[in-house]
Amino acid sequence: MSEQALLDVQGVSKSFGGLQALTDVSLQVRTGSIHAIIGPNGAGKSTLLNVLIGLIEADQGHVLFDGRELRGVKPHSIIQRGIARVFQTPQVFPAMNLLQNVAIAALARRDGQFSIKAAETLRRGHAIYEEAAATLERVGLGDHLEEQAQHLARGDKRRLELAVCLAARPKLLLLDEPTAGMSRHDTNRTIDLLKEISETGMTKVVIEHDMHVVFSLAERISVLAQGRIIAGGAPDEVRGDPRVKEAYLGGAQE
Amino acid sequence: MSAMSKTSGGGRELLVIGVFAAIVLLLPFWLPLLGGYEALATKIVIWALFALGFDILLGFTGFLSFGHAAFFGTAAYTTGLMLKHVSADIIPALAVSVSLTLVLAIVLGFLTLRRSGIYFSILTLAFGEMLYAAVLSIFQGWTGGDNGLTMSTKPTLLGLPMQGLNVFYVCAVLLIGGFALARQIKRSPFGLMLMSIKENPMRLEYTGVNVMAYKMMAFTISGLYAAVAGSLMVVYEPYVATEFMHWTTSGEIVIMSVIGGVNTLLGPMIGAAFMLFFENVVQAFIGEQWKLILGAIFVLVVIFLPGGFIDLARRVRKAMGHMVPSRRDNVPDAPGSMREDRQKGRRADAQLGGR
Repeated sequence: MSEQALLDVQGVSKSFGGLQALTDVSLQVRTGSIHAIIGPNGAGKSTLLNVLIGLIEADQGHVLFDGRELRGVKPHSIIQRGIARVFQTPQVFPAMNLLQNVAIAALARRDGQFSIKAAETLRRGHAIYEEAAATLERVGLGDHLEEQAQHLARGDKRRLELAVCLAARPKLLLLDEPTAGMSRHDTNRTIDLLKEISETGMTKVVIEHDMHVVFSLAERISVLAQGRIIAGGAPDEVRGDPRVKEAYLGGAQE
Repeated sequence: MSAMSKTSGGGRELLVIGVFAAIVLLLPFWLPLLGGYEALATKIVIWALFALGFDILLGFTGFLSFGHAAFFGTAAYTTGLMLKHVSADIIPALAVSVSLTLVLAIVLGFLTLRRSGIYFSILTLAFGEMLYAAVLSIFQGWTGGDNGLTMSTKPTLLGLPMQGLNVFYVCAVLLIGGFALARQIKRSPFGLMLMSIKENPMRLEYTGVNVMAYKMMAFTISGLYAAVAGSLMVVYEPYVATEFMHWTTSGEIVIMSVIGGVNTLLGPMIGAAFMLFFENVVQAFIGEQWKLILGAIFVLVVIFLPGGFIDLARRVRKAMGHMVPSRRDNVPDAPGSMREDRQKGRRADAQLGGR
């Protein structure tokens, strides 16, 4: 992959005590692509995402984003460089309404990691709320703007978190099982939404169990098993790879 | 939240501040009708300012400090020493007290804000007690040790003697300004960031926000409110009692906030007024057992009115059938937010461990 890689992971290893979670993981994510990371449970997929955003520090290796090292950089600074993440368990601001949830991300993009904007008043109709409303509309939550996030169904919380991430207008969006717990209908809607977002040129890394989602979305796939990358390439190559079948598809696909 | 309320315009905000100012400024005249006295009005206004600042930390940001006596007391002692040794004018005294407390708040915030929930509370309590011990031992020569800091100075403001109603109006103006500032913070992007720390600090950090910097700001602003209040206590009565620095002062401000209604700005001030009124007026009618009654009231409020006195008003309105929608989206209570903190901590841990 000699073309521009937005994200370049080089030889990342991480162990927790005696458990080797990631071993010499290298992968490149091309600008503008949708890149899926698949693998059986416990393969190290979430750990890898956690390393990318600074939630966990790698023992070895490098993570280059836009050509700059991310290792050792504080999480909020990593995010400010243009990465956003949807967590496996939706992380939102529960007692705040949807507009406020999204406005926080829009403000973080507008004002940076810290600023004292105390003289500005956030009223209904403020540009930030208008923008938040448009983003919520886009993910299909336009009818619930003033509802508290904690009252949303799980699938909707996931969509809210996606809206929070989109409001940050990241260059790279990391999605940890974005359709887990969703009905087939909602899953398809999410796939369409993610495809639509791709048209804006946003690069995405998706961790996913659901093969339907993976093969409908991904342009590149990396297969992780027991902390190692065992295969990678275009969906058709990966689908036909016997190592992948053995490690993952054979066992997990129903 | 007020920012989202339908009628929140600049005019409405001016009206709220105006009504509040009128109630406060006329306090020395209507309080005696309830059996209070003029000097009590001053004390209520000072503690209301303390409670207001405390709400920026506990109510907005969700950090329960048990060490705010450190700020209140440090400023009180500094003001006492300034009035006694440097100048009887309160402006230099207040300026030095607030500056010194600012430094203290930055240092304490840096050391304590790395933890949240009960660990933060314990850390602040420990630092507060260390300062109290230092005042009674190392700094005894300056502070007067157990006797407190006594002085014969009569404080002035640009030549105006700080007595009676003069003191009251200085305090009242500062309270009204403090109230307007706190409300503006609550309506601003800055306030939204503080309130989202209480909600989910992890999500906030991973939205690209420097959570620690905002926590430091909330802690420091809150400490400065406490500092101004501590200074004014000495202007009101030129004597520094050791208890200003004692953890019981920290405890009192917590109780005032909780019984009044956390995260409402008005609630903690009502809580402060209630406590002082009870201690100074109602006590005379009840007699020796007044502390027992006060304790019982606290327990009843926490059990049956977790939103505090301010929540009572909302419930009464609701019960009376006026379906006036509440302007506050959330009625958090201190123990609840601590519990939430811990759950969030666990969730973050789960994320860390989850692969």
